[in-house]
Amino acid sequence: MAEHFRGELPRLLRILAAPAGFLPLGPALTLAVRRFARRKPAVFDRLGDYGKCSFLIEPSDLDISFLMVPDGTRAEVKCLRRRAGQTADVTVRGPLLVLLGLLDGTFDGDALFFNRAIAVSGRTDALVALRNAIEDAELTPADFVGATGGLGKLVDRSVIGGLGLARRFTGSPIPGEPS
Amino acid sequence: MSLELVCPAGTPAALRAAVEAGAHSVYCGFRDETNARNFPGLNFSPDELVEGIRFAHAHGAKVLVAINTFAKAGAMDAWKAALANAEKAGADAVILADLAVLDHAATHHPDLRLHLSVQAAAATPEAIAFYADTFGVKRVVMPRVLSVEEIAKLNAAIDVETEAFVFGGLCPMTEGRCSLSSYATGKSPNLTGVCSPPEHVAYSEDRNGTATRLNGFTIDRFGAGEQAGYPTLCKGRFMAGGKTSYLFEDPVSLNAASLIAALAKAGITALKIEGRQRGKGYVTEVVRTFRAAVEAIDAGGTEVEVGRLLAGLVEGGRQTSGAYKKAWR
Ligand code: SF4
Repeated sequence: MAEHFRGELPRLLRILAAPAGFLPLGPALTLAVRRFARRKPAVFDRLGDYGKCSFLIEPSDLDISFLMVPDGTRAEVKCLRRRAGQTADVTVRGPLLVLLGLLDGTFDGDALFFNRAIAVSGRTDALVALRNAIEDAELTPADFVGATGGLGKLVDRSVIGGLGLARRFTGSPIPGEPS
Repeated sequence: MSLELVCPAGTPAALRAAVEAGAHSVYCGFRDETNARNFPGLNFSPDELVEGIRFAHAHGAKVLVAINTFAKAGAMDAWKAALANAEKAGADAVILADLAVLDHAATHHPDLRLHLSVQAAAATPEAIAFYADTFGVKRVVMPRVLSVEEIAKLNAAIDVETEAFVFGGLCPMTEGRCSLSSYATGKSPNLTGVCSPPEHVAYSEDRNGTATRLNGFTIDRFGAGEQAGYPTLCKGRFMAGGKTSYLFEDPVSLNAASLIAALAKAGITALKIEGRQRGKGYVTEVVRTFRAAVEAIDAGGTEVEVGRLLAGLVEGGRQTSGAYKKAWR
């Protein structure tokens, strides 16, 4: 039986999100990570050799998953059909909104894992390294789309506000509260 | 004089968060085996330390650099480099434990202020006098096995500053002497800077729930829905004498917030918060809360007021006032 987590997207939104599987998300995310690596190389230095590890990110409420090798300017992100049977050094599984919250620091990864809001498997050392690098990166939504200045601030404000609303709507764990 | 709040920073972002939340001092380490929180992806490069110290000083905060593992015989270069890099970056003090590292610092970096790490486990006036007289140590971090009364007695018998842990993860054994992690994995906080290292950690699911393993040893097992934990050896559940229990210590963390005033009265100079492996959110919340509590005490606030300020931190996980209030078993 499939594992279910608190804070998953409602069924209607999942259906609406289904065509995302046909978009060139992989190349777009690859470009975004590489662009970020050029702007903030220290984040990837922090990962050291763990940058060559593969991380499979599986939103439990979507039918796609992401395979990422965060190797700085040689980083690679692939968008996969969930049932592709892909293996990786580390697998992280949880609701999309919670996974996004891990990236921008809304949630503490340790707390989410220990409270079972997400599930992880594979190499714990690689996961710890990635978690610490993300913690220091102070990522914002604008970093993902490469927006800077006033436009960057606008992107951050709208995306963070939108995600906050969506989390409340889906019943995601509240940051800072035991879930 | 007001109590100094010494706060953890595992990354430059956490350093900035701690300073902005009101830390008087921040402690951090280099990204190698020279400090006792050598987790993957954590800690500072020499350049990041320079930048971090510049930021802290610009905001009126100090930076203490932990170089507190025990150097390997015949291979001290990493520790020597760490001392030189800390001095070059303008560190306000270095926190050391090893005799050879202390000796090297006192001889080659006479202007560096030396603090004695909790890892040195100096718990008697004689031991502390030795470190002060021999190397010029100015502050000693109190081992977490002493009660408040014992700290008061100790402070009356020594003339260096003392610093006490008040919040965060807890090492229940005498620090620097625990061999559990070495036994199970070959690595320890004392020599490699990491207890129960993550490259040896595995979580596996079966129909009984999740088992946490350290290098093949099962440290704990959690039923579905039960809050899991990191397999730190001393906090595991083991079977002995036909009974399963937390053999060494319950998985609790230290919260001596209610004892701040008592610790100040016992002669403590600085309060230390553990958690260099914790995120910015945690650092901000804990530091801000403790800073408010310290100021309330300075202003002559009652214990009730201070208790109210710290109440938020007590919710959730299980906590203990550690050895400060109990006799050691
Ligand atoms: S096993 Fe426990 S007591 Fe020993 S070093 Fe690790 S945390 Fe400390």
